Amino acid sequence: MNRGLKGLEEKVLDRELCAACGACLSLCPYLRSWKGRVAKIDNCKLEEGRCFAYCPRTEVDLDEVFQRVFGKGYEDIEMGPVRKIVMARAKSRIWTKKAQTGGVVSALFDFALREGVVQAGILTPRDGDMLPQGKVITRRKEILRCVGSSYVAGPTLEALNRGPWNGKERIGIVGLPCQVLALARMKASKLEKRTPIDRVDLVIGLFCTWALDYKPFMAFLNERVGRRSIEKLNITPPPERILEVTAGNKLYRIPVDDIRPFIRPSCRVCMDMTAELSDLSVGTVEGKEGWNTVIVRTAIGENLLRRAKKAGIIETRTLPQNNLNHLIEASLLKKRRALGALNEKGGIEKGYFRLSAHLIKRILSEAKEAAP
Amino acid sequence: MFLSKDPFNVIIGGVGGQGNVLASQILGEILVSQGYVITIGETYGASQRGGAVMSHLRISGKDQFSPLIPEGQCDLLVALEPVEGLRILDFYGNPKVMTLLNTRTIHPIDVISGDATYPEVSRIISEIKELSRRVWTLNATEIALEMGDPIFSNIVMLGALCAMDVLPINREGFESIIKDLLPSRRLDENMKAFDKGREAVQEI
Amino acid sequence: MISIAQNTPGKTVLLMGNEAIARGALEAGVKVCAAYPGNPSSEIIGTLAKVAKEMGLHVEWSVNEKVALEVAAAASLAGLRGLCAMKQNGLNVASDFLLNLNLTGCKGGLVLVVADDPAAVSSSNEEDSRIFAKLADLPLLEPADFQEAKEMTKMAFEISEKLELPVLIRSVTRVSHARGNVSLDELPKSGPKPKFETSQPRLAFPATANHKVLHEKLNKAKQMFEESAFNFYRGPKKPEWMLVTSGSGWMYALEAVVNLKVQDRVGILKVGTTWPLPENFVLNHLTKSDRILFIEEVDPFLENNVKEIYAQNCLDLGLKAFSGKANKIVPDVGELNPEIVTHAIMNLLNVLYEPRPAEYAQRVHEATSELVPTRALGFCAGCPHRATYWAIKVALALDGKGGFVLGDIGCYSLGMGPSGFGQMKTLHAMGSGAGLACGFGQLDRFGLEQPVLAVCGDSTFYHAAMPALANAYYNGASFLLLLLDNSATAMTGFQPHPGTGSTATGNEAPVIDLKAICEVFGARVEVVDPFDVATTVETLLRLLQDEKGVKVLILKRECALVSAKHQKRPYKVEVDTKRCLGESCGCNRLCTRIFKCPGLMWDMESGKACVDEAICTGCGVCAEICPATAIRKEAA
Repeated sequence: MNRGLKGLEEKVLDRELCAACGACLSLCPYLRSWKGRVAKIDNCKLEEGRCFAYCPRTEVDLDEVFQRVFGKGYEDIEMGPVRKIVMARAKSRIWTKKAQTGGVVSALFDFALREGVVQAGILTPRDGDMLPQGKVITRRKEILRCVGSSYVAGPTLEALNRGPWNGKERIGIVGLPCQVLALARMKASKLEKRTPIDRVDLVIGLFCTWALDYKPFMAFLNERVGRRSIEKLNITPPPERILEVTAGNKLYRIPVDDIRPFIRPSCRVCMDMTAELSDLSVGTVEGKEGWNTVIVRTAIGENLLRRAKKAGIIETRTLPQNNLNHLIEASLLKKRRALGALNEKGGIEKGYFRLSAHLIKRILSEAKEAAP
Repeated sequence: MFLSKDPFNVIIGGVGGQGNVLASQILGEILVSQGYVITIGETYGASQRGGAVMSHLRISGKDQFSPLIPEGQCDLLVALEPVEGLRILDFYGNPKVMTLLNTRTIHPIDVISGDATYPEVSRIISEIKELSRRVWTLNATEIALEMGDPIFSNIVMLGALCAMDVLPINREGFESIIKDLLPSRRLDENMKAFDKGREAVQEI
Repeated sequence: MISIAQNTPGKTVLLMGNEAIARGALEAGVKVCAAYPGNPSSEIIGTLAKVAKEMGLHVEWSVNEKVALEVAAAASLAGLRGLCAMKQNGLNVASDFLLNLNLTGCKGGLVLVVADDPAAVSSSNEEDSRIFAKLADLPLLEPADFQEAKEMTKMAFEISEKLELPVLIRSVTRVSHARGNVSLDELPKSGPKPKFETSQPRLAFPATANHKVLHEKLNKAKQMFEESAFNFYRGPKKPEWMLVTSGSGWMYALEAVVNLKVQDRVGILKVGTTWPLPENFVLNHLTKSDRILFIEEVDPFLENNVKEIYAQNCLDLGLKAFSGKANKIVPDVGELNPEIVTHAIMNLLNVLYEPRPAEYAQRVHEATSELVPTRALGFCAGCPHRATYWAIKVALALDGKGGFVLGDIGCYSLGMGPSGFGQMKTLHAMGSGAGLACGFGQLDRFGLEQPVLAVCGDSTFYHAAMPALANAYYNGASFLLLLLDNSATAMTGFQPHPGTGSTATGNEAPVIDLKAICEVFGARVEVVDPFDVATTVETLLRLLQDEKGVKVLILKRECALVSAKHQKRPYKVEVDTKRCLGESCGCNRLCTRIFKCPGLMWDMESGKACVDEAICTGCGVCAEICPATAIRKEAA
């Protein structure tokens, strides 16, 4: 079986499974992306290549990946390995003013940069464009441009491959679950590394239920709001589920059901809502405006959070049990849906990951029936 | 009349852009001025774009022959490129053919792209030697590059042809035609290329 | 250069068939010569252009063949001798005028030379133009060698004036582009002064009456041709087989009969006045043998016409067996060659013939199939079209909507093959790319989601694409037209055109600005340099998003071969083998395997790319696309 571009094309691109994470881009001339879509430019004759090895949708052995990162297999099926789980928010208005909710990601990242935990990061600055493009960030003021969610999938990891790098900097990355999985695959790969993956010391993951395909979503939005510059997107929690669009000083309210057609097919088979392979994962807290949920997974993550708290950058509180239960429910539900979608596509065995049958059974039995 | 047979058939072949057309024209002009009846057949147009090309030169004492040499009837092959030499012999060669070979290769696109391999030149040369009555070689392209422009390689080959003494051509005849056909400011360079060819050619 | 205008009657020179035709026209006192370049006819007017000043002629490259014929015809209508030359496709373009000119007649001699390209070596189609002579009821001569090319052209002017009709000459590649001995005759001193006789209007109307007159003229031609020295027989009085041949078939037939040593069994009837056939001449010779083999290029034109004469007279002639293209003894497609003629005679006469010892043939076949790689055509090193098609390929892949390119005629037609990354998806006639785009560009209302693109060269644009552009604006089609402006009519020999600033005779000419015309036709126009690949891709992507109307992107960069003639190479290009990734992940030989520029080579030993300095023109495009920035370009 081909484990190079040919294999990637057959197993991922042709099946519309591409998550547009960017791990395969800027590695070679044959894969490029434009407006959120990854395109093959021409054929590559290699039997084995980094594109296939790094892709989060090819041959992922979940046990192996988790073993490498955490020293244990894929057993924490609820929401991945958890050292600690809290709710948190940034204390400075610099971060909370523009943030989606609690501003924790930006504040933590800024702190990491300032303290020299990392010297550079890959974030996604938003220059009025809804498509997140990864960029190498080395200065605090650049972080401010990266605040806010766009709900759109963009090839952030391309920036890791492209640089520019000076060859010495320690790197931090903020990414979606698919991107975080790709990072873990990059670290594990035995193929010659020509990108600075081994200097990535900090991975902050973002909770994600799904992401939208840029081109059709933008075409839809432009129709609804005219071609005004879009300032902010926010999806209100259930039972409302409205997409609030702030554009040209007006607020538009669009039912989330109207944008479901633009969810990337890749998201429907994704097993990871909370970025289970990161150092820290950050999401919202339903019903508690202005606060983030933070899952601490590794010693690196724990140290960073502790130091940031001590330095008065972040404040934390216990996450209420109710919220924790909802979180677990939502995380398991995403897994159940993914397994269901894979079943429809020809069986879970034909999916992109390998997982023992008994774990699959556990997930299916523990995940409750979907609440809308 | 010099001709060992009538018609005496010469093929100048190589890759589009190597100057086989000009070489055949010069040769033809020299021979017409000496009273021979000459036909030259060419493959034009698209062939310039890197394809295989041939000039067929028919030399006769009295008749106008067709511009295409029949199968197996080449008497003298001037191969501007090694595999082109062999390709031409495939259809036009015979045990009596005499061959002059430029040993510098030009890789076809299929070789450049990795879809085919270019054989060892020494192997081509030995095959051509088996398939010809007499063989001469030189690296005309190298000589031309040393002069500063690969464009001279066909003139170098004509010089070699002169030294081989198998056709009724000499330096004066060549010079006189060059004066008519090419810009006069280029005369010295062209004569230099011609002379280098005469010196460098070797029968193997 | 050997001048075809030399005043050396009696001298024998080596002339190309086309040069011989040009010389024939000069000896006939031609005054006005017009053509559009077309292989294998281009050298006819090209040669005359070189001597135009010294001979006092008007010679022009017209924008297309219809206009060219009209230009030459005008000279004729004013009493001067005019010559027009074209390839088979050109005759298709000029045919509407020709099929009216036959009814109006002309005055000064008018000769139309059409040079066919059997086997379409440098053409999109294979076509036998002689059918136009029958369609238009016009005389047609077919030269069989180089002397005939000259003599027939000269004679054609006289015939034309006697009949007051244009006369066609049909040549083929193997006569037009081959060289042979031609003995020259005198050049005329002076000619008549032009005057258009207004008392004798030239109107096709009334068509039926004029058609009748035309038939009478054709009959007159038939009578003239009975005594023509261009038709003759060579061979035994009563041959077993008679070959009937015209054009290039003559030389092949002669040599085949000698090689097979069947001179006593086979006779050859050579026909030079192919239309209208002199009936008595044909009938007389048909009595020589009951077995007839026809040898001619492309269609069984001579074959069918002789059969018609035979059928009309069969009671007198008795039974005869005809062989040729009808029974496929001679292939009905492709070009004639010595082997086809030899095998036809061998089969019919049951002759054994071995051109060379069988063991030699086997030996050389084995060596060749083992050792010799194919040598495909492609764009020259440094060709802007390679860079253009590369940018199109990348842009269409990124756009991801299944966009496609409609093609047209020129060097860039090679875009249909691997050299152009297979981007060009249709190929028909001059201007057909833009024409088809006018149709595809209307299909969005039915749900067509694919972007429509068309490529068109600069010379092609002036020839045929302008009406399509006007149509698109007027009827509201949407497409992206890529105008490949390499400042030349390159495929046919770098002739000038209305965009290059000079004429056939080297005079300065006003430039008809492509951008300005396209804007008048309502298009949004931008200009890029295809050697700047990144900008070209970006621009293409942007233009592909604009949905309505016609957009024109002019890709402006001179042809590499034209550049080489007047300037040194811009860059010296080298591969840094330390940076070159070669076959490994991250490159996998992009420059040699995919981009395929012949200026690059693959060094199998080191596993790295390298530059072939005998071929590279220093354009530097490979340096821009190398993923490892391993190719360096330094200003030379």
